[in-house]
Amino acid sequence: MVPMRGLVPISLLVGFACMFPVQRAQGVQTKEERMVTGSAVGQPGGTITVAVRSDPKTLNPVLAVDESTREIIDCMNADLIHINRETQKTEPALAKSWSISRDGKIFILHLRRGLEFSDGQPFTADDVVFSFQVYLDEKIHSPQRDLLVVGGKPVSVKKIDELTVEFQLTEPYAAAERIFDGLAILPKHILETAYRNGTFSKLWGVSMPPNEFAGLGAFRLKEYVPGQRIVLERNPHYWKADRAGRRLPYIDQLVFLFVPSEDAQVIRFQAGDTDLLSRLSAENFAVLQREQTLRGYKLEDLGPGLEYNFLFFNLNNLTGKKLPEIERKQAWFEDTGFRQAVSAAIDRDGIVRLVYNGRATPLWSQVTPGNKLWVDSSLAAPPQSLDRARELLRTAHFSWNSTGDLLDARGRAVEFSILTSSSNAERSRIATLIQDDLTKLGMKVHVVSLDFSAMVDRLLNSFDYEAAVMGLASGDADPESEMNVWLSSGGTHLWNLTESKPATPWEAEIDRLMNQQQVTLDYKRRKHLYDQVQQIVAQELPLVCLASPHILVGAKNRVGNFHPAILAPYVLANVDELYVH
Amino acid sequence: MLNRRYKLWATLAVLAAFHGAILFAGFFAPYGYSTQDRALPYAPPSQIHFVDRQGEFHLRPFVYGLKDDPENYGSYVEDDQQAYPLRLVVSGSPYRLAGTFALRTHLFGTDSPGRLFLLGTDGYGRDQFSRLLYGGQISLAAGWIAAGLSILFGGIIGSLAGFYGGWLDDVLMRGGELFLALPWLYLLFAVRAALPLEVAQWQVFLLLIAVIGLIGWARPARLIRGIVLSAKERNFVTAARALGASDAYLLRKHILPQTYGVMLTQMTLLVPQYILAEVTLTFLGLGVSEPMASWGTLLSSLQQYYVLVSYWWMFLPALLLIPVFLSYYAAADALQERVKSVAL
Amino acid sequence: MKFLGRRLANALLLLVGISILSFALLQWAPGSFFDSLRLDPRVSAQAVNGMRAEYGLDQPFMVRYARWIGSVLKGEMGFSLAYGASVGPLLWARAKNTLLLTTSATLLAWLLAVPIGIWSASAKGSLRDRICGIATSTLLTIPDLLLALMLLLLAVRTRWFPAGGMISVGAAHSGFWSGAADVARHLILPAFGLALATLPILVRHVRSAMIDALESPFIQAARGHGIPRSRLLFRYALPAASNPLISLAGFSIATMLSASVIIEVVLSWPGLGPLMVQAILARDAYVVIGVVMLSSVFLVIGNLVADVLLFVSDPRIRME
Repeated sequence: MVPMRGLVPISLLVGFACMFPVQRAQGVQTKEERMVTGSAVGQPGGTITVAVRSDPKTLNPVLAVDESTREIIDCMNADLIHINRETQKTEPALAKSWSISRDGKIFILHLRRGLEFSDGQPFTADDVVFSFQVYLDEKIHSPQRDLLVVGGKPVSVKKIDELTVEFQLTEPYAAAERIFDGLAILPKHILETAYRNGTFSKLWGVSMPPNEFAGLGAFRLKEYVPGQRIVLERNPHYWKADRAGRRLPYIDQLVFLFVPSEDAQVIRFQAGDTDLLSRLSAENFAVLQREQTLRGYKLEDLGPGLEYNFLFFNLNNLTGKKLPEIERKQAWFEDTGFRQAVSAAIDRDGIVRLVYNGRATPLWSQVTPGNKLWVDSSLAAPPQSLDRARELLRTAHFSWNSTGDLLDARGRAVEFSILTSSSNAERSRIATLIQDDLTKLGMKVHVVSLDFSAMVDRLLNSFDYEAAVMGLASGDADPESEMNVWLSSGGTHLWNLTESKPATPWEAEIDRLMNQQQVTLDYKRRKHLYDQVQQIVAQELPLVCLASPHILVGAKNRVGNFHPAILAPYVLANVDELYVH
Repeated sequence: MLNRRYKLWATLAVLAAFHGAILFAGFFAPYGYSTQDRALPYAPPSQIHFVDRQGEFHLRPFVYGLKDDPENYGSYVEDDQQAYPLRLVVSGSPYRLAGTFALRTHLFGTDSPGRLFLLGTDGYGRDQFSRLLYGGQISLAAGWIAAGLSILFGGIIGSLAGFYGGWLDDVLMRGGELFLALPWLYLLFAVRAALPLEVAQWQVFLLLIAVIGLIGWARPARLIRGIVLSAKERNFVTAARALGASDAYLLRKHILPQTYGVMLTQMTLLVPQYILAEVTLTFLGLGVSEPMASWGTLLSSLQQYYVLVSYWWMFLPALLLIPVFLSYYAAADALQERVKSVAL
Repeated sequence: MKFLGRRLANALLLLVGISILSFALLQWAPGSFFDSLRLDPRVSAQAVNGMRAEYGLDQPFMVRYARWIGSVLKGEMGFSLAYGASVGPLLWARAKNTLLLTTSATLLAWLLAVPIGIWSASAKGSLRDRICGIATSTLLTIPDLLLALMLLLLAVRTRWFPAGGMISVGAAHSGFWSGAADVARHLILPAFGLALATLPILVRHVRSAMIDALESPFIQAARGHGIPRSRLLFRYALPAASNPLISLAGFSIATMLSASVIIEVVLSWPGLGPLMVQAILARDAYVVIGVVMLSSVFLVIGNLVADVLLFVSDPRIRME
């Protein structure tokens, strides 16, 4: 039995001015409990066309990895609890409400009544239990599995009744509600046989017949043409409605064109072939802006997203790696004064201006101002200062020879290379600017640009690099999504992946703070803990954070209800509410 | 006859001038290839004036300083409060002439803080003209090395295959097909990644281009084999063979001379092609790394749509390269005819 | 017949050789498909290792090669890590489109190149020959990538052509003829771009072969006999110049699948190009090998065609 006394109902409606569950369906037990959205009432019908970089790799939501695939799949599926991309807070989705036990370990989710999959079959707690069984199955290798493992133990899922599901964690988990976001609920009636036969991972490949698919999303599969497009059609059983009571989505068809490069996407948008555009560079934004009125579209700068770009040094333990040269240079890299000098010498404003055309925000720590709930806005933002950099170097026992070359305490010239990925033009340009900045300090810096896979191989496997410019973008605003970056044992703890225990006192402190915030349920206290992490990062500079590019989007004027978000999927965040004039 | 010789010398002279300017890039370029002016990214080519705002004529030409256009974000207007005269033989940033003599003298320039950008600047505010000259050093070397290797190996293998025929021909030609089909990009990725970080970027690039050149033997080999095949059946060759001429003699005296024309045509086509191959290499992330300049990187900046539609002066390097390549072709055509007239 | 049989056996051997060497080359390239997954903060190292094992990537070289041969015989051609599906169907769907593009472009290029080359060669050293030379050389100096981009720019500015893709969304279901017309409209730009990219080389070779033929003693003699110019050009010189041109034609066929990569990527033509580039960068090994094998088959066919044609046309080779 569920310990009902321990449950605290959470007020769900706070903060979601625009969304609330429908209460009209009282009396009739089978009547569907639709969710009513708050945005403007639109016109039904029409087609919206969007470009994505590549074909979807699969239509199986459990196996999807890359961005294009996720973007398409997310339009065809729904989750239990959803993160509102605008407020960055959780809101009800397939679960109309939920409650959490006082110790934060037990979640009871109440599902909407009378919902149907896109093939007309009913949605019940069995589908939820089945979905989580699949996600958690180790043989399936779902990339989402890790999110569902809390404190080393997978969440346990139990059906209470047809419309109630209980999730149990082994320890309290601050971000627990957020793990449901993006976890598509699967139709048990279609997938169970294949799952039992062990052929699940071959199921729902891209070339599946449309009638074999069923989901709870706003759209369902209509047609896939390899290399060209995938067409989704309106799901007539979708569970959201507008204020006027009309069932969403408004548009009949959603077409994804496969356009392999950003420039080509920009051109197709300019030519009027696509209705929405996201992830464009600041330069292309400026190009499109010039013809804004002429061609009947509008562009928006949504401000910084969650992506942070940074420079970091190789602090891995290289014993036994046969990399003596890099090991020698690590004496500099491990010196906090050296890293601080590098940070002080970097012209972040120059990066913003020259790399991002002014459409970026300089950063001194990992949380961007776009992350409204978690950014520590009290952090200092010192401008570039070569004098301060020289001062720091002098304090760290560096000196200069007669020709201005920087020498370390043993008289050796400071020379190192910065690795970048050639497939990311912006980061390569950042590296070029940093190279020039550091030359002014008398350092000899080379930019080495490799193709992405070769670079990642060096960063993760061989550790044969000295410094690198990289960027990370969490999928979610919550600090929880950053655990793997900051925990010294984390898989994306890029600067030192070899730690069995924290290598420095400040890394130990970050570990403590990150682990603490994970089990702290109170937002204010969590925020305080995460602020301290940001302060340590800004002080110790394991990652020298540089800039966060703005999220730039565009839409044709004919698209109504266009409310893009700084979180993926940006322009499609409210795809079920979009309509065409 | 005279006309032909004259044409050859003329094109060679033009080429020598180009190469001289590139070899002594430090002297001819007003700035270094990596000198950034962060206040002036994507500045258009400087306008050279003789008449100032007051309508007064100056014998010595001058340029105005640039300031941000208040009406148009990201573009510039001339600031007529600041005029900087152009000067010949000025002292500027230090460089090494032809990689050896340390000098500070540049052929022309203007007084600091004035800037003279003959071809405008790129996104870092670097002078495109200087980068064009410096870039030629790497690109020309790359083109010659790669084309030379291709022709050398292609020539040897193609003539052996064509001359001896039989199983040797089969093995070599099948090998050639094998070479054409393989995913060499992976080899390039592997070579690039296997090189230690300390190796200078231009060396990495030349090595990659040399690998491409080596791989490229198969195409010239096929053509040369074709020529040798028909050449060895010519009457005077069979006659010489009947008279007891050795293989080496036949190859050297009768057969190879007939392939020179094709080799030269190939060479002329290959040098610019290998220079341009770098554009594709850059596209795949194997080009010259920043801040080095090469013609391939200058051209590949045009790949970006916004550059293509916003900054017309970024086309200028591409336009200036056309005469260089054309004179290559012209010189080779002239050489080819000369070889022929000697051979006949 | 014996000649053909020997060539076919050769071809098969060649394909086996290419496949083994491709496998080996892929082995060398640094990084693997799963490395970029590991950069996603939400995916753990164990999950990645699990996937590696599932796809058999931790097996030794020969085991993987043997498995691949097995799947080739079944028409699957291995397994795409990115798509989680057999490579075969991925390739067929796109190879058709690439073939449509390259065949039209090759035809267009030859149709332009032969008359231009002859026209230029027939008046060697004249003004038109020089203009022709300068024009082709200038075309040679423009990288494919730039050419494709400029065409795209033309499409956007003038709106005469669609800005990429192969068929409009609406046209796919509007009947065969209007569908075909729509594809043709989309085809103009990429086919023209590809033809322009190959044109200069073809023209130069046609011209140079023609000049060689025209300067050979037997044509001089024929000219001396007062045979009319057009007859001289087409009846005597052209066949004599055909030897290198046939090799070149074989080469055009051979490169039919691989020549259009960049044009396809820039103009979003749904062929093998975008698939190949993505697979190379993502280290999706079997897709790359699949594309390589497919273009090798074309290479073999191209060479075979050229050899047979040479065999038929040149009695001196036939005697051997």
